[in-house]
Amino acid sequence: MKWSQFFNTSIGKKLLVGATGLFLCSFVIVHLAGNFQLLYNDQGKAFNAYAAFMGHNSLIQFIAWGLKIVILLHAFIAIQLTFSNRAARPVKYAVSPGNQTSSWFSRQMAIMGSILFIFLIIHLANFWAKFHYGDMPTQTYAGFEEPLKDLYRVSQETFKQGWLVALYVIGMIGLSFHLIHGFKSACQTFGLNHKKYNGLINFIGVWLFGIAIPIGFAIIPVVIYFK
Amino acid sequence: MEHYNMNLTLKVWRQKNKNDQGRFETLQAKDISSEMSFLEMFDVVNEQLINDGKDPVAFDHDCREGICGSCSMHINGRAHGPWDGTTTCQLHMRAFNDGDTITVEPWRAGAFPVIKDLTVDRTAFDRIIEAGGYISVNTGNAQDANCLPVDKNDADLSFAAASCIGCGACVAACKNSSAMLFVSAKVSQLALLPQGHPEKQSRALNMVAQMDKEGFGSCTNTGACEAECPKEISLTNIARLNREFIGAGFSSEK
Amino acid sequence: MLNAKIPAGPLNSKWEDYKGHCKLVNPANKRNLEVIIIGTGLAGASAAASLGELGYKVKAFCFQDSPRRAHSIAAQGGINAAKNYQNDGDSVFRLFYDTVKGGDYRAREANVHRLAEVSGNIIDQCVAQGVPFAREYGGLLSNRSFGGTQVQRTFYAAGQTGQQLLLGAYSALERQVALGNVKMYSRHEMLDIVKIDGKARGIIARDLVTGELERHFGHAVLICSGGYGNVFYLSTNAMGSNATAAWKATKNGAYFANPCFTQIHPTCIPVSGDHQSKLTLMSESLRNDGRIWVPKKQNDTRKASDIPEEERDYYLERRYPAFGNLVPRDVASRAAKERCDAGFGVGTSRQAVYLDFAAAIERYGSIEVGKRQLTNVSKEDIIKLGKEVVAEKYGNLFDMYAKITGENPYELPMRIYPAVHYTMGGLWVDYELNTTVPGLYSLGEANFSDHGANRLGASALMQGLADGYFVLPYTIGNYLADEIRTKAISTDHPAFVEAEKSVQDIINKFMTTKGTRSVDYFHKKLGKIMWDKCGMARNEKGLKEAIEEIKALRVEFWKEVRVPGEAKEFNPELEKAGRVADFLELGELMCMDALNRRESCGGHFREESQTEDGEAKRDDDNFSYVAAWEYKGYGQYELHKEPLVFEECKPTQRSYK
Repeated sequence: MKWSQFFNTSIGKKLLVGATGLFLCSFVIVHLAGNFQLLYNDQGKAFNAYAAFMGHNSLIQFIAWGLKIVILLHAFIAIQLTFSNRAARPVKYAVSPGNQTSSWFSRQMAIMGSILFIFLIIHLANFWAKFHYGDMPTQTYAGFEEPLKDLYRVSQETFKQGWLVALYVIGMIGLSFHLIHGFKSACQTFGLNHKKYNGLINFIGVWLFGIAIPIGFAIIPVVIYFK
Repeated sequence: MEHYNMNLTLKVWRQKNKNDQGRFETLQAKDISSEMSFLEMFDVVNEQLINDGKDPVAFDHDCREGICGSCSMHINGRAHGPWDGTTTCQLHMRAFNDGDTITVEPWRAGAFPVIKDLTVDRTAFDRIIEAGGYISVNTGNAQDANCLPVDKNDADLSFAAASCIGCGACVAACKNSSAMLFVSAKVSQLALLPQGHPEKQSRALNMVAQMDKEGFGSCTNTGACEAECPKEISLTNIARLNREFIGAGFSSEK
Repeated sequence: MLNAKIPAGPLNSKWEDYKGHCKLVNPANKRNLEVIIIGTGLAGASAAASLGELGYKVKAFCFQDSPRRAHSIAAQGGINAAKNYQNDGDSVFRLFYDTVKGGDYRAREANVHRLAEVSGNIIDQCVAQGVPFAREYGGLLSNRSFGGTQVQRTFYAAGQTGQQLLLGAYSALERQVALGNVKMYSRHEMLDIVKIDGKARGIIARDLVTGELERHFGHAVLICSGGYGNVFYLSTNAMGSNATAAWKATKNGAYFANPCFTQIHPTCIPVSGDHQSKLTLMSESLRNDGRIWVPKKQNDTRKASDIPEEERDYYLERRYPAFGNLVPRDVASRAAKERCDAGFGVGTSRQAVYLDFAAAIERYGSIEVGKRQLTNVSKEDIIKLGKEVVAEKYGNLFDMYAKITGENPYELPMRIYPAVHYTMGGLWVDYELNTTVPGLYSLGEANFSDHGANRLGASALMQGLADGYFVLPYTIGNYLADEIRTKAISTDHPAFVEAEKSVQDIINKFMTTKGTRSVDYFHKKLGKIMWDKCGMARNEKGLKEAIEEIKALRVEFWKEVRVPGEAKEFNPELEKAGRVADFLELGELMCMDALNRRESCGGHFREESQTEDGEAKRDDDNFSYVAAWEYKGYGQYELHKEPLVFEECKPTQRSYK
């Protein structure tokens, strides 16, 4: 089977979705670690320095563009699969089993993914676009020659808007459900289903990606809002 | 066992042939004993329809002991009805109560077109097997059976996968109409045995390609197939199929 | 006189000799020879695969939606083979001898010996195909023991051996379909044989989805359509199992042999009411540990648990102290019927006996206590341990029983009753599996087979696969070698036209009768007549009555049957009507054969021929023959006899006391 054929099979496509998904999982860990610097009480010195580094290091920039492509690829193939999956059942059931045979969130990957995608656009508009192309306030810190773009202040101001905080929380709920199933599902797609490791896979999927990381992300705007 | 009689309202899918639109018809099932099987309840309803000069409900059934895989009803939203690990023919009426309304639909999948009423065409499964669900050994080729020792654990896993009856409940239960559990059961059965090794790559690649060609959806790992499978075939088989397929895709020279 | 074409020479070299001398067809000619196969169970699927591999052009037909659904799939226990892997003294001769003796000396020695000879090859072939037989920890094949033998020669795959073997044959068949050597016609039913110049040359089949009739040519036709147990309406057969193919063959000149030889299996789940559509077998292996009993008091309505030990009648242990609960199927079945008829039956219908595991549970529990060296164990704990052991051995059967009856067999004794299970009779075939019509072959349960008057457990699977994989592929060559000059005959030939017309006439008759009764009504009535008068015990008076009743029922059927819907559509009622019409004729022939055979042998028990203590009595002087019936017009048959000669197995009276 040629590569073009291989990645055109249903499993081949799922592999791409799974691989991009797992890559995005690793990204959220890094992203969250960086974001926690927003909670430091240092007038944003650490965070802004980190943002400046991330914004100027060419390797990081290269990865960042790769990341965007990965996100689009993940979404594009997933949407394609979703449509072909829908088409596989032209006449629907009058009565569906509900949650008797599968979990609710495992069936809502497309919805959760769509919520995340919308969230992502707003999120990028709020910060990434402003940072790179918009008017940014600057701040000078001891030890830095140049003034740094003050993304810290932008975020402090942004998260004073209640509706936006709510939107971020909703986005993270979407992330939670998407990853509770997504991590485990990607493992299964790669053939990782083994008595000895399923406990670990479940633990990581549920506790790390399903709970800890989304809460970690969501807590930042909430804390800022109430500060 | 205490038994009781009940009257039921059935909402049954009626469709004259594959070109017909189809619609639900409401039928009454009277004096149904809790000791009947679900199909025997349909026998009673059909007898009444025939006596009334109407067309009986067509449904697939044969062995009525849960092994041939013919019966295929989607009952109140569940493939093979409410009992776990049970085919429609082994579902008994004590699962229901007097006055219940039961909705009965055929397996719904583009790859399983309706032939009539609750009868669907599952020949897609045969074509998937044709694509590679076998070991190429002509009659008379075989060596002595005990020349090939098989690890008992592998043999047991292979048997568990081989217990698939090809009923299509996995497809019916899957929100994507995916046939992955069916395909994985056959691929696993043969991949776990040394006899199956020489063809394992082409088998996985060809069976998956045929599955896609038939128009089944892809697997999103919801687990509904495993939950509804009357033979309780495990999702680990799907993982094994994925491994076989990836291995074959990355290493096969063809 | 029927010529069985048994090769000359000593028994153990006949088959070798035959294979060495039979004619062969060269590969180029095979491509031009077409073979039609009816039925895709073990016999049909294995034959289709093997002939396809050889290069013949095969067309295979089954009425189910897929060849994988054939009823071979429901066989539970296992498959015999003389491998002697257990080093317990098994051999080809022993398997041969056990089979002839188990069949109560009514089988053809040469065929049975060949069956035993190829039995080992079957296991090799199946393992090579990927059939997941049970294995020991060392990775080698496991065996279990089965009724009627003293060696462990039964290979098995849990309680699903038939399923695994069929799926093996099915995958071999599908491989040939993919290679283009076999064309598969599923949801097709054969409705007539086409004969040209005395030879079978094709069939008329109905596409069950569209209702269209089709003509198919073949240089030879193989009937592999299974048994006719559904004549009884209630049996362990599948709902669709039918005799139509075999019966159309009979009407076209193939003799039907020993139709009265039906096997009634002793351990089935009893009938629960008039709605019952089929009966479910509980494997023979349960009798290894379960004890069978009824109350000592007639019409005892107490619950089983309320009947004290001294008021229970373990009638098999009482009557047959040597074999106890492990007497052969026919004996166990008759004993259960005797008790129920005498008013000792249990359950609401009173047509059942208990199969009780309480003693086994306690025994196994105590053994476990010993094994685990436990002390101070309460009775409850012993029972709990015992139940675990029983669950390990018979769990799936117990679950099936619980699902069907709603009762917990770990707590209450199972209720069981005999049920029709297998038919030893079938189309008469010679050593080459050819019927009396040249080019028309019959394999598996559809032929009168190798089982005489009673089949041993785990031998049906063996025979089906032996015929399909290892016998027919040789013997058919001997016939087809002379057919290489026969070009494919056009299906416009008058014989095809005429056959199709007669099929069409019957369908028209069904569609225009517009009577008042459903097909099932007649089927149930026929079943009751057969069960009451041609079932586990038969007598002259009953059989004569049955013949008259069936004749009358047949007349009523053709006047009053109601087939809804249309002929040119998917119409399961029309399919059933055709099958029941054939059962109505075959049922009569079964009674005639039973009437003719004034002896008891195997599954055939004539009340007039029994010993003083009620055991079956064979009459070798007068009935040591195969009764082959020739169809002579509607309801008329002529008897032909094939004398049975026993060179190696000298007939003796069976005793289990």
